[in-house]
Amino acid sequence: MRIREIWMKNFGRFADRRITVNDGIQLFYGENEAGKSTIHTFLKGMLFGMERKRGRASATDESHLYEPWENPNYYAGVLRFEAGGKTFCLQRSFEKTGRKAELFCEEDGEEFSVENGDLEMLLDGLTASGYENTISCGQLKVTPDASLGTELRNYATNACAQDKGDIDLGAAFARLKERKKDIERRIKIRLEERQKKQEITEQEASYVWTDIHKYIEEKNRISEELALREMGKQKNKKDSLAYTEEVSKWRIHPMELIVFVLLIISPLFIVSKPWNYLMAIIIFLCCLIYIWNRMKVSKRKEKTESEILLEKIRPEEEKASREKLLWEQNRIEAELKEKQTQYENLKEQLEELDLTDDVIERLQQTREAVTMAYEQLEALSGRLREQTDKLLNGRVSEIVCAFTGGKYERLFVDEDTRIYLITEDRKIRIEQVSRGTAEQIYLALRIAAAEFLYEEEFPLILDDTFGFYDEKRLANTLQWLAENKKQVLIFTCQKREEELLKKMHIPYNKENV
Amino acid sequence: MIETCEREKIDLLLIAGDLFHRQPLLRELKEVSYLFGKLTKTQVVLVAGNHDYIKKDSYYRTFHWQKHVHMISADEPQCIELSEISTSVCGFSYHSREIRERLDISQLKKGRQKYEILLLHGGDETHVPFNREDLRRVDYDYVALGHVHKPQTVIDGKAAYSGALEPIDKNDTGKHGFIRGEITDEGCRIRFVPASVRRYIHEKITVTPQFTDQELQERIEACIREQGEQHFYKFILTGFRDPDIMFETVRRFSHGDSLYGHPVFGNEHGWNILEIADRTTPAYDFGQLMKQHKEDILGAFIEELSEYPQESIQYRALCEGVQALMDTRRG
Repeated sequence: MRIREIWMKNFGRFADRRITVNDGIQLFYGENEAGKSTIHTFLKGMLFGMERKRGRASATDESHLYEPWENPNYYAGVLRFEAGGKTFCLQRSFEKTGRKAELFCEEDGEEFSVENGDLEMLLDGLTASGYENTISCGQLKVTPDASLGTELRNYATNACAQDKGDIDLGAAFARLKERKKDIERRIKIRLEERQKKQEITEQEASYVWTDIHKYIEEKNRISEELALREMGKQKNKKDSLAYTEEVSKWRIHPMELIVFVLLIISPLFIVSKPWNYLMAIIIFLCCLIYIWNRMKVSKRKEKTESEILLEKIRPEEEKASREKLLWEQNRIEAELKEKQTQYENLKEQLEELDLTDDVIERLQQTREAVTMAYEQLEALSGRLREQTDKLLNGRVSEIVCAFTGGKYERLFVDEDTRIYLITEDRKIRIEQVSRGTAEQIYLALRIAAAEFLYEEEFPLILDDTFGFYDEKRLANTLQWLAENKKQVLIFTCQKREEELLKKMHIPYNKENV
Repeated sequence: MIETCEREKIDLLLIAGDLFHRQPLLRELKEVSYLFGKLTKTQVVLVAGNHDYIKKDSYYRTFHWQKHVHMISADEPQCIELSEISTSVCGFSYHSREIRERLDISQLKKGRQKYEILLLHGGDETHVPFNREDLRRVDYDYVALGHVHKPQTVIDGKAAYSGALEPIDKNDTGKHGFIRGEITDEGCRIRFVPASVRRYIHEKITVTPQFTDQELQERIEACIREQGEQHFYKFILTGFRDPDIMFETVRRFSHGDSLYGHPVFGNEHGWNILEIADRTTPAYDFGQLMKQHKEDILGAFIEELSEYPQESIQYRALCEGVQALMDTRRG
């Protein structure tokens, strides 16, 4: 794209001022306050429109600042430019009421609609911010809190689309991370809820399990008792046959005692003295041993309580309690089976709980999507950084080399995106270079970025860019621009550019503003 | 159900399996038996399905039903003859969780009555596989089907799934109830009777970029008021939303926040909202955005992922990424 004519019908201090713009270097010379910036603003306003703010902000907006000095109700201009081999005429009016833009092709008269983005298309997608960041170049703006080098580096990394314009890649990454964390939190909560449910079921199952064991124990106890009773019954039968008397309270039958007494006394009468005493004592001792033995046997029998219980129970009673035990056994068996079924059911329920949950599934999918977005962006930013590096190492190095007359051979970017300048024998951090060199790198970056981003070649608009350049570097730069750029608009308040151009026999057009 | 049978003097109540979701406990069988006991005019025929299949020690084996309740507990087709109503019912019970063998039509038995009914549980590949053709071929007046929760007619006037009486699972949407049929000399007429107290309702709400949170709340309220407050609701938001809007209602409802003591949306009215799923897509014009941002990473990102269909993970990644990039723009 090349500008053909700037026609400020009524804009700022200018009224019906037409400037024809040719190819090659176009010098706009003017003293301070002559209106160079006005032309500059006009160009931008024509290409991208002018924002009109409302209320108090309107006092400082461009549209207000460049309101025509005379007849402010007529506020308009025309820009003729060439793009894609055709010449176009763009007319705009910036009035408060009825702002409008018209665009048509001068060759075939075809009309285009600015609102529908036809102009943007002709400009190869160049936006106002793209324009400001590349082809329209003032001096390196240094904010008070950032050094020249930092500023330059920021520009370099931003220039190649890494996060140009309004995109804030770092913040976007942070946002995605946050989102992922939030999703993970949700999954966790959901899992915890499920866990809780599972625990409740598990607890229930464990209660049932305890019950089952209680019933098993009970069952064992009863069957043991029943078995014992069975045994006791048989034994009882035997016992009742052998010694029925034993049921009595006497451990030693009184008859036995009488017999013992008689036995002890009888030797006294039957056997002569003194042997009868001896006999009586011996028999007495024998009886004593017998009785003692009997007592011991009885004691041992006392030990098992159930037997005593059994002894106490009468046959009818016994029958009843046996039935009761059997009934109890049945009841416990039924209860046990019920509990076992319940336990099995709970186990099944637990198994089913482990199956997937669609909410979690959905959340996991979202997490996956976020991760994918993150990775994709990371890959892209990596690729763009690579491009930046390539650009810096390639085209920018080339231009810088030309501007500095070969002093700096190359720019070099390390892994931490620190930029170095390579001279024949040294490696210099970009923060260390002089203002002039920084300005030259800045310009080189812009030129390279414009070439990199847009297929269309745009005119280069340089507004007092060369303030810090020394004679030699300025000559190099002008030489390079003349050789490499189709159209360069240089706005300056100094005469040295013109002098140098003349000296070097570089063709140029001069417009006194 | 029982009341309906009694009131309408129904002759026969058929239960095609899965009367219980798991192995029935004895006390549960007693409860059912008690309910059946209320029937004075109705015969009951039931089989066991895959959920309440007859295990080795199942109570089904030992339980004594009342005279008018007939359980076919064999795993081979058997017939119950009900001569009072000139009907015989053929069926079999599950003795295992799954039966993978196809339905063998030749094995089915016919009774000696005027009307023949087949009571069949299953139909999917692990539960007695059979298809519509099989059912068409069997020579019964009616095939009462069980297993599938959703009521559906397989062959008009001949075979139908009654579905679950009440929805069992949160995905059992739609109406639930039973099938009321009549077999006469003219043939069999069946009709689905909705009877469930509650339903699971999945309601789709399609949003537009103009849609607001207040509107969403009103839509939900209107839906619940219209269909009944007793039902369980799941709302699924689809469509394109304003990229800048974050539905407060969804946030208030979402699980994460409900645990932090925020009032859950709908609780104040006693509504049963199970889920509000936000599946909306931010209404970005990706083509336009790509054009606008063709020289920066946003454009490259869209270009990278724009070729995928709407439901794909890539598309969702695209939405997430664009949203993050757009939300964090400077200025």
